[in-house]
Amino acid sequence: MDHTRARTIAKPDAEFPWGTAPYPVLVVDIDGALVQRNEAAAVLLPHAAPGTTLVDVAPAWLAAAHRTVLRFGPHGAPEADPGPSGVIGGRRFEAHPSVRDDGAVAWWLVDDTDHQLVRDALHMERKRTAFLAEASSALLSTLNVGRCMDVTAQMAVECLADAALAIAPAHGRRLSVVTCLRGGVPELSHHSVDPDDVPGLGEALRGFPPVPARWIDPSTAPQWLVPEGFGPVGSIVITPLPGHGVPAGALVLLRRAKTDSFSDEEEVFARLFAARAGAALSAARLYAEQSAITEVLMRELLPPTLRQVAGVDFAGRYRPSADHERIGGDFYDVHPATEGDAALVTLGDVCGKGLEAAVLTGKVRSTLHALLPLADDHQRMLSLLNTALLNSHHARFATLVLASAELRGNEVDLKLTSAGHPPPLIIRGDGTVEEADTRGTLVGAIPEISARTAAVTLAPGECCVLYTDGITEARGGPMGDVLFGDERLKRALSACAGMTAEGIVDHVQMLAAQWLGDRRHDDMAVVVIAAPRTHHLSAVNGHTRGRFTG
Amino acid sequence: MTTPPPDHLRLTRVDTGDRVRIELDGDLDHDTADLLVNEATAQLSTRPGLGHLHLHCGGLGTIDSMGLSALLMISRRTAAAEVRLHLEDRPANLDQLLRLTGTFDHLTAPSPTGAAEDSTHEEEATVFRPHRPDAGT
Repeated sequence: MDHTRARTIAKPDAEFPWGTAPYPVLVVDIDGALVQRNEAAAVLLPHAAPGTTLVDVAPAWLAAAHRTVLRFGPHGAPEADPGPSGVIGGRRFEAHPSVRDDGAVAWWLVDDTDHQLVRDALHMERKRTAFLAEASSALLSTLNVGRCMDVTAQMAVECLADAALAIAPAHGRRLSVVTCLRGGVPELSHHSVDPDDVPGLGEALRGFPPVPARWIDPSTAPQWLVPEGFGPVGSIVITPLPGHGVPAGALVLLRRAKTDSFSDEEEVFARLFAARAGAALSAARLYAEQSAITEVLMRELLPPTLRQVAGVDFAGRYRPSADHERIGGDFYDVHPATEGDAALVTLGDVCGKGLEAAVLTGKVRSTLHALLPLADDHQRMLSLLNTALLNSHHARFATLVLASAELRGNEVDLKLTSAGHPPPLIIRGDGTVEEADTRGTLVGAIPEISARTAAVTLAPGECCVLYTDGITEARGGPMGDVLFGDERLKRALSACAGMTAEGIVDHVQMLAAQWLGDRRHDDMAVVVIAAPRTHHLSAVNGHTRGRFTG
Repeated sequence: MTTPPPDHLRLTRVDTGDRVRIELDGDLDHDTADLLVNEATAQLSTRPGLGHLHLHCGGLGTIDSMGLSALLMISRRTAAAEVRLHLEDRPANLDQLLRLTGTFDHLTAPSPTGAAEDSTHEEEATVFRPHRPDAGT
């Protein structure tokens, strides 16, 4: 026979040994009539006196459990695993049956209210953690600001509110707002409103100083804040989205009047979500700004399309480095001749990569442009450029070649000056390749510089090749790690005698690309200046436009 | 002092009296240039009595434009601190780069105090500095 300590001590009735057991016990016969109960059961269910039927005095879930046990036995119920449980008098009980020989069932009722609360809390926490993890990966998988705003509003309604508004930091007096209703799709709208009209929204959007989430009285909410067809608003909370030092916006959560208002835990949870959304949004915003800057710089820095200028042929090609910093350090420009002057070609290479190199490239190009009236005197031009570039913070420099080209008769007179740059190569009619005799100091790093200019004359069909060291320092070839090198370039150019400027530029870029295969490389720029092979109207001076030549 | 290999440039410092010698091993490029500038700057600022900074270049591999920029920056700082900079045991590729960029004299010529004691490069000096034989002072 089973035994309990209570029985031994209290010497209870042998028929009903559980009279003083601490758990409520009810004995119910096979007809559903109550046979016995103990003291604890009497306290819990005052009406459950012996003789009453279980259906009348106990909650329906217990009566149902009784029927199940009678039909299937104590362990035979289809879903016996969690066991029957339900609410009695505001607390939660598990009911454990034990069947007696006569078929009556003794029900032990075990209060598991606290246990259940803990289980519920754990379940909720797990759900929230999973949600936050999902939110993070959804938010971080995009660097698009619009998409980030959509995801923020959409995820917020999933778990936090009946409607959510993601509001971007104000630009001027227009607010970009993404609204999402539960079960709906996010929609973008713009409102010409003052965010300071909504209590707490202005501060939240400014992002600094950090402000806590703020409740506002739904009756003070302006019309634009409440989505159309939302119905009466029960509660509104405005949560700032904290960014990495930049305002990322604000999240407005609305609940309907019939939904519970926010609990403390939900507020903490909303803050955790806001932190993730804010981090993702500010990253997306910074990225958007960065790529806008890059875009603008790229447009400014793209080399011009070259053509024939004042009877001299020009061709240029630029292959930027495939590295992630898209703006390279190579540049070239052709400035057409102004009255009686020669056209000026500039080609160069700025030290370093990325934004700093791009800024320096822009500076070099615009300074050279401003110095065009002095283009006749290369030394002076370089010296002024050098002074303009000198900077006490760093010794970033540029190397470049200046080439003045002027058509004289059917020949082209060139003045070539290298400032620390590989000297231009001249392709003669017979295939000889000469290095222009010019040397000089790079610009931008040393206060005093010097340079020597070479004078070269191109006969019809001859040309001059300006290039950056991205070509000669391309590593590749059959062995994979060999420099393309000066000699290989000279040999290749020797075979180009008589080709057009366009053709030579294409050929050089193609050779370098073949040499490289798919290996990484630096920027590569090539410019060719050519004396046209057949120049008619040689009596006309060099400033005549090509259109007269038919 | 030795820096770990991931930087591809190892600096080894040897101090003797008013001289500091830094041995360079590896590539001096975009990724490692700052390492050398920082080390040289630290030596210049923490040793007021320093007279000579020797950069031992025998172990240098690739030197790119940022590497040259680093040498130019160090030269500027040594000149300001009245310390003489010596680029020693230069490999051929470094000399070639210095010649091409017209910085050979500036980086190898005798510094503030020096007269024309370093006559071995005089010929190049006239070629590269037609107008300003005093460049680099």
